[in-house]
Amino acid sequence: MAQYFGTAVEDIFNTMEERFLPEGTVDVDVTIGYNISGEGGGHWKVTIKEGTLKTEDMDGEVTDCTAVLNANAETFVGVTLGKIDAGEAFSSGSIKVDGDLTVLIAVLPKAFRPFKPVVKASSIVESVEERFRPEKAEGVDIKIGYDLSGDGGGQWTVVVKDQTCALKDVLDDDCTVVMRMEAQVFVDLNQGKLDGATAFTSGQVKIDGDIGAAGKSSSLFEKYVAEGAVEEQGEELISLKCVPSINQRYATGPLMGTWFNGLKEKKFYAAKCPECGRTLVPPREICAQCRVRCNELVEVGPDAMVTLIDVVYYASPDPLTGKIRETPYTALFMVLDGASRDESFAHDLNPRDIDRIKPGMKVRPVWSEKRTGSYKDLLYFEIAD
Amino acid sequence: MGKRNRNVGIIGIGQTEYSSHKEHQNQVEMVNEGVRYALEDANITLDDIDCVLHGNMELFEMVHQPDMWHSLGSGAYGKDQLRITTGGTTGASLVCAADNLVASGMYDVVMAIGMEKLQEGHTTGGITNMADPLWFRHLQTGALTATTATMMMEEFGEERAKRAAMKYRIMMDKHACLNPRAHRRFGLEYDQTDDLMNTSPQLVGELRLIHMCSQSDGACVMIFASEEKAKEMCKNPVWIRDHITVHREETFNNFGIEMPEMTHHYAARKLFERNGIKNPVEYFDVFEMYDPSAWWGLDWAREFLLLKDDEHIKLLEDGEFDLDGKLPINPSGGVTASNPIGATAMLRPAEAAMQIRGDAGPQQIKKEVRHALASGFGGTLWSVLMMLEKDLDWQEV
Repeated sequence: MAQYFGTAVEDIFNTMEERFLPEGTVDVDVTIGYNISGEGGGHWKVTIKEGTLKTEDMDGEVTDCTAVLNANAETFVGVTLGKIDAGEAFSSGSIKVDGDLTVLIAVLPKAFRPFKPVVKASSIVESVEERFRPEKAEGVDIKIGYDLSGDGGGQWTVVVKDQTCALKDVLDDDCTVVMRMEAQVFVDLNQGKLDGATAFTSGQVKIDGDIGAAGKSSSLFEKYVAEGAVEEQGEELISLKCVPSINQRYATGPLMGTWFNGLKEKKFYAAKCPECGRTLVPPREICAQCRVRCNELVEVGPDAMVTLIDVVYYASPDPLTGKIRETPYTALFMVLDGASRDESFAHDLNPRDIDRIKPGMKVRPVWSEKRTGSYKDLLYFEIAD
Repeated sequence: MGKRNRNVGIIGIGQTEYSSHKEHQNQVEMVNEGVRYALEDANITLDDIDCVLHGNMELFEMVHQPDMWHSLGSGAYGKDQLRITTGGTTGASLVCAADNLVASGMYDVVMAIGMEKLQEGHTTGGITNMADPLWFRHLQTGALTATTATMMMEEFGEERAKRAAMKYRIMMDKHACLNPRAHRRFGLEYDQTDDLMNTSPQLVGELRLIHMCSQSDGACVMIFASEEKAKEMCKNPVWIRDHITVHREETFNNFGIEMPEMTHHYAARKLFERNGIKNPVEYFDVFEMYDPSAWWGLDWAREFLLLKDDEHIKLLEDGEFDLDGKLPINPSGGVTASNPIGATAMLRPAEAAMQIRGDAGPQQIKKEVRHALASGFGGTLWSVLMMLEKDLDWQEV
């Protein structure tokens, strides 16, 4: 089927019913003929009568209508999409109207919603190279797979490397991330009809692989604008962005001071409650259960038994550097040797142990070479074999 | 129970819609929208308000003294005003504070405003800066943890626990779909359970994206009056019966070999004991719970309702937490649907009070609602639990 500006002549007639506005044609009684010449052309007769619509595909030249429009296919599609100026087309004679011209001007805008080209998922994917923004891809090396099911679907791989972008119409096995969804969901997402977070959270979009890469990939491409579509201009909202940098300094107090000094010597000190005997790690001045002051410090650890394991896949920023942490990482809850059974200590796990770690396992601390009395003195815990 | 000098009624409730973006209005305008709705609901004017309480999550909008800025929209100009900022429980603390202020006789009519505009400022920056700067800040991963999921799978088996958490989540979405103000309304169906259980992205362990609460913008405003004023000004005030606030020192030390009694359980035990509530599931007609994730919501039902073993899972599986069940939980859709943090814990008593009034809208429970329970939650397992009543007919214990 011949297409002009991405649209076939018959698309325009086939969508008339869904674009029809009965309320705009209550007092109307007209017939309009269309003789469209050239490849993809044909003959159509449209009858609009008191809020009803009939569209007929005719075998030959249409005559005997309130108005008959004659044009070649390219001009007709171009004018419908607003790509060719209608006034000029009339003036130059590339559109000719027999009969009552005012019918077209007065009736049509009230009878139909404007034609918008049907966007196919493939058109969006296939335009990816044109929409690529090399300036945003510095240092980016990813393969994004698309697995779009249903009508208009297909499989593609977009390779972004060395600030270039290449499209392949197969799904590679080694994609950084693969996004799977219905083709229509993909179209709606790209046209802003569907919110990405909603589609993802509700399971309409499935992402295999690096979710972070999926999120970042959208900035690598210009927004898709359907051929022939005029992007709607929204009201410009003003927002201001500011990035404050704030230095902070805190006094440790004597107990936490002892704790940090202990770390320098690879020791853990706990405060012991004189009432319940609970060991508080890191040490706190008051036992909040008994509400008494804890003056006695005892050494606990350094080994520990694991009680609970949290494997974190969602990369939250490190609060001290603002950098996104490597994922997955593991937060461990454990009871240090000699500490009370109801007092857990939390720290990170050596990433190499992530697949083996189980509750009940013995772990040992791994210390930084250069210890200054800070959180960083303790690198992580690892399985003590 | 603290000494209650006089009864306090809820006489006005106003809520904005909740959404991820409210770029069409600034914070002052958003607060103003909520205030207008509440005044309209109470059929009074600002002249009737003696004192304004303001609350949001400290640091989230990265604005100093937001109550001062917002006074342009809150109507606090020339009135007494207090700011309450207790983290996740802010909204619930606002209601407790308003109740205390009116019950004490200090003010006759108090308006409380809970608000959050999470798209402004820096939520993660705020939340990580809440932890102790010397040590725990380094461990803080925001509000995400799968410890409850892990423990529930251990206790009830992986399959049953995962299925139950997803049923809870889908039930909440079904409730949210009825609530015209809810932020996230996905239209989830129960036949998506298996799919979502296995494919929704993992955040931490078995805590998946679908289980977790939203980040929303919005404001909730409530107006409280003394018994005398409430009866004079309002046809159907909802009465605050009692509330309790409980919290622990820290949370990272809770996961030892032996675990302490959970704050929610302690709060419920104490509150029900002093009010003579023997069977909370039978007594209450609705429970609006602060449920930051589906796992927590389900697990906490056991704590708050003083249930044993798998009773809470059975109630869920049997549909007893549905709108037409024995004790509907979160007809509003709860926190997984809408989470404007400074307002979130106020939405619980607000929505519960609307259920008692019978004008909650499409999410109204069909049978009569006379006794309501509402909870608030925040860091360090901070728990606020509150009882609301339709009639002033309860017996002092």
